[in-house]
Amino acid sequence: MIRIINFLCVALMGLSILAVYHVSEKTRIAHMRLDQINRQIGDNRAAIGVLQAEWERVAGPARIQALAQAKLNMSDSASAQLSSFDLLPRRGEEAPLADSPLRNANAQVPATQPVQQIADRPGL
Amino acid sequence: MGEPPTIFQRRIVIGAGLCVAAFALVGLRLADVTLMQSGGRGGGADHAVIARADLTDRNGELLARDLPVKDLYARPHVFWDKAEAAHDLAAATGADENRLRAGFEGAKHPYVLVARQLTPDDQEKVMHLGLPGLEFEPSAKRYYPDGRGAAQLLGVTDPDNNGISGLELGLQRQLRAASGDGAVATSIDMRVQYILAHETAEARQMFKAHAAGGIVMDVNTGEVIAMVSLPDFDPNGRRLTGDDSTRNIMSQDVYELGSVFKIFTFALGFQDHTFGLDEMFKIGTGYKIGKSTIHEAAEDHMPDMLAGRDVLARSSNIGSLQIALRSGGERQKQFLAELGLLAPVHGELPETARPLYPANWGVIQTATIGFGQGISVSPLSYVTAAAEVVNGGRRIVPTFLKQDGDRRGEQLIKPETSLQMRDLLRYVVTDGTGKKADVDGYDVGGKTGSAQVPGPHGYIPHALRTSFCAVFPVHHPRYILFVLLDQPHGTKATGGLALAGYTAAPLAGKVISRIAPLLGVPNIPTPVKLASSNS
Repeated sequence: MIRIINFLCVALMGLSILAVYHVSEKTRIAHMRLDQINRQIGDNRAAIGVLQAEWERVAGPARIQALAQAKLNMSDSASAQLSSFDLLPRRGEEAPLADSPLRNANAQVPATQPVQQIADRPGL
Repeated sequence: MGEPPTIFQRRIVIGAGLCVAAFALVGLRLADVTLMQSGGRGGGADHAVIARADLTDRNGELLARDLPVKDLYARPHVFWDKAEAAHDLAAATGADENRLRAGFEGAKHPYVLVARQLTPDDQEKVMHLGLPGLEFEPSAKRYYPDGRGAAQLLGVTDPDNNGISGLELGLQRQLRAASGDGAVATSIDMRVQYILAHETAEARQMFKAHAAGGIVMDVNTGEVIAMVSLPDFDPNGRRLTGDDSTRNIMSQDVYELGSVFKIFTFALGFQDHTFGLDEMFKIGTGYKIGKSTIHEAAEDHMPDMLAGRDVLARSSNIGSLQIALRSGGERQKQFLAELGLLAPVHGELPETARPLYPANWGVIQTATIGFGQGISVSPLSYVTAAAEVVNGGRRIVPTFLKQDGDRRGEQLIKPETSLQMRDLLRYVVTDGTGKKADVDGYDVGGKTGSAQVPGPHGYIPHALRTSFCAVFPVHHPRYILFVLLDQPHGTKATGGLALAGYTAAPLAGKVISRIAPLLGVPNIPTPVKLASSNS
């Protein structure tokens, strides 16, 4: 009886060793695959990071302004041309800036000031 | 009592014990392989070469990022011809050929560093050489998409990716802590930064100034929205060319700022009720203190008498010193100290400067400091104190990190004083020396400053350092702008004059007209008067 039990124990141990080896091997292969995928993810993230940095460079305000001026003949808007949505009147409402000087200014872009000889000397 | 176990029974027990131990070992190993190891390997991709977090502006725009590069090492003992290998590697990487040759010939270590931070293009060139014994090590290079735009402010890193200047150094701990999973948001707005840099560079070129700079700050939070210092440098190039400079003149240098300092003299006068806006001050041809006589900078154009409001609007030195002397030196020193002008600025930016002021604060010193001479402070320190004057009189701490909400602290000066000062600063722009800083609809207030430039043998003749401190909108202050031009020259358009009213004030006006809409400052009609005309 004891011999049978011993035999069964040894057989069970052998089977366990085989099972553990099998699981270990599958785990090793899974690790390799995981590492490979992680490297790919890392490479892709790095590539995206590089592209984002490149985008920031090409879409920077300095480049956009240079292109807008060179290709589209654009220039700065006069401050009087710009306003806030909050200041826009709703339908039927009176404009909040109805009689203010600014309302007139909105319609007129200030022309370039001619050079003037200043009699007094402000600026100290 | 039973019989003792026989020899066979003992062997069986020992065998069974060994079997149990073997099974236990197998079980433990099983658990280790299947549970422990697989769980600990999941985050490989997160451990890429990135060692510092991104720096972004307040709107999430990228300011600085680590890019993956490679360091190249060689094992010289496998080279057939070491001299030829040194020549080819130098040509491909830009490394010094003599250094490589010396390293390969007399190599004490199995590995020799060939070049650091190679770009993919350089790596490709090296691979085409077909040399054996080369190894690439992953590394990182800090990249600044906006180049020179905020060079001194952001600073740079060394080849080991440690911050060595600017916010890269000042925010080192936060950048390390946030690496891999986030970004550090600064208070900078890159749109404003660009406009300030662009307009300042144009003004510097137009007036042929030695240097120039500017700061935009939120008066309620202390956030620095933009800071420019010219000349600048290319942080991606790591080499200085021409007149490049890594020095941040807005935080690292101290200046006698001249008449812009009169803001504090008038704030002290309002605070102590020592003068009235309609009170007449005798200007004359000079003010004698002891053996010294103090004159106006442009005496021939200054009337004999000036009202208090016009002392600031026309920037009279003699009127200002009289107001300063009424409070006295001790009180003046205490007031400036409360505003933080007598101590360096402590913040995230490591480049700071200690202010210079007289050890013996006597009558003559009180008088000269009253109009901005005899005390030197950094522009950043000045802007912080000026913001405290106009923001309702409460303390702010300058910061380069994005903040939420109002951060004003203790009350330093009375709210009425702050209101009177804002009213007076608006008067300077509408009726005084700051007319060229006015911008339709944006309610600008401010003060000009044209300071003499000290040299090794006293003040340099005809040399000026001009500045303008602007607040907008004055009726409800949100931002303060300070621009500085170091030794500008007059042009035909300015009639040869290089005073602040002709150089710094128009620069401030141009900057405000472009940044105010971006910052959401409402375009409004000209406001009614804020404070009563008399103090």
